[in-house]
Amino acid sequence: MTNPQLSKKSNKFLEDLRAYLFAKGKKFEEIKEITNELEMHLLEAEKNGKPIEKIVGNSPAEYMEMISKEMDIDVSGWFKYILLIIIGSFTFKIFSDVSKGELAYSVFEIVGHIADSILFIILLFAAVKFISKRQLSDTKAILIVTPIILIEMGIFVGIIYFNNRIDSPMIHFGETGTWLAVALSAILIIGMTLWAKTSVLVVVLLLLFLPDYLLSFTSLQLEMQLIISLLITYGGIALYLWLVFPKEK
Amino acid sequence: MSSTQMLKGIIDGCVLAIIKDKEVYGYELAEKLEAYGFESFSEGTIYPMLMRMQREELVTATFKKSTAGPRRKYYSLTQKGEEELQQFIYRWKQLQQSVNQVLRFESDD
Repeated sequence: MTNPQLSKKSNKFLEDLRAYLFAKGKKFEEIKEITNELEMHLLEAEKNGKPIEKIVGNSPAEYMEMISKEMDIDVSGWFKYILLIIIGSFTFKIFSDVSKGELAYSVFEIVGHIADSILFIILLFAAVKFISKRQLSDTKAILIVTPIILIEMGIFVGIIYFNNRIDSPMIHFGETGTWLAVALSAILIIGMTLWAKTSVLVVVLLLLFLPDYLLSFTSLQLEMQLIISLLITYGGIALYLWLVFPKEK
Repeated sequence: MSSTQMLKGIIDGCVLAIIKDKEVYGYELAEKLEAYGFESFSEGTIYPMLMRMQREELVTATFKKSTAGPRRKYYSLTQKGEEELQQFIYRWKQLQQSVNQVLRFESDD
């Protein structure tokens, strides 16, 4: 996505602007339009020996905000992602749990995971906004995203831990219910992949099951396996969102 | 009112006047503004401005192939934009007249 004819500084600015507008929930087409236009402008300006400050001013953050203010928020797009991640994570959970027998979840578990997913999305988008607006380096970006992943993992482990100790009503799916849930999950995943026209579900699915599966061949302790697999899964998802998603469109 | 704020409304009107004359793309517009002496502003500020003008239906944009390769976004004035420009010209003449009057009678002695 970087333009070899442009300076490193200009490329970084365009990338950060793209990520910032994406995290602000702006429409993909509009993001593409304005970043393309600015790319062309920067190209011509650099050819004529103008520094990037002449174009975006002394505060790129202020300039990004100025652009963002003129763009509408893509509510349906946002809703699409949140729904995608929440339902997606549930369908994945169903897939992994069904191998251990009939499905049964406690109310605490269900509510906990929904709240956890929402929190993860909010924190991640806030981080992308923070990082891109300040044009932070990749190292600093990793330093900011890592605690979010750790918090997410902590809550995830916490839900599992407290689920066995807190008494909340269980919902048993039974044989028919289990198969119905699995079939529904499969339909949802296929449907959402086609609807959203994105590889996100396939990538997340692989990130969720491949580490588990591969680690089961190692001689590592079960707890260690769980921790490593979680780290790969959430780290991978975060990395995917941060690196690939804004550029894919 | 700071000079940048004052300048904002004036640049708005000048942008409309430049676009009315001939449809332009972003860089061209920035160059023209600079050539006319507006040098202190950051060139990039024309894009949020053009976005707003598009939303307010003062200008429309079309994509055209350029000799340089990629498609360029060209802006032209709408009917509403022309009316806005006429109003700006009227307001500017009034303001100019008032300022000139004040300066002539108040700062001479």
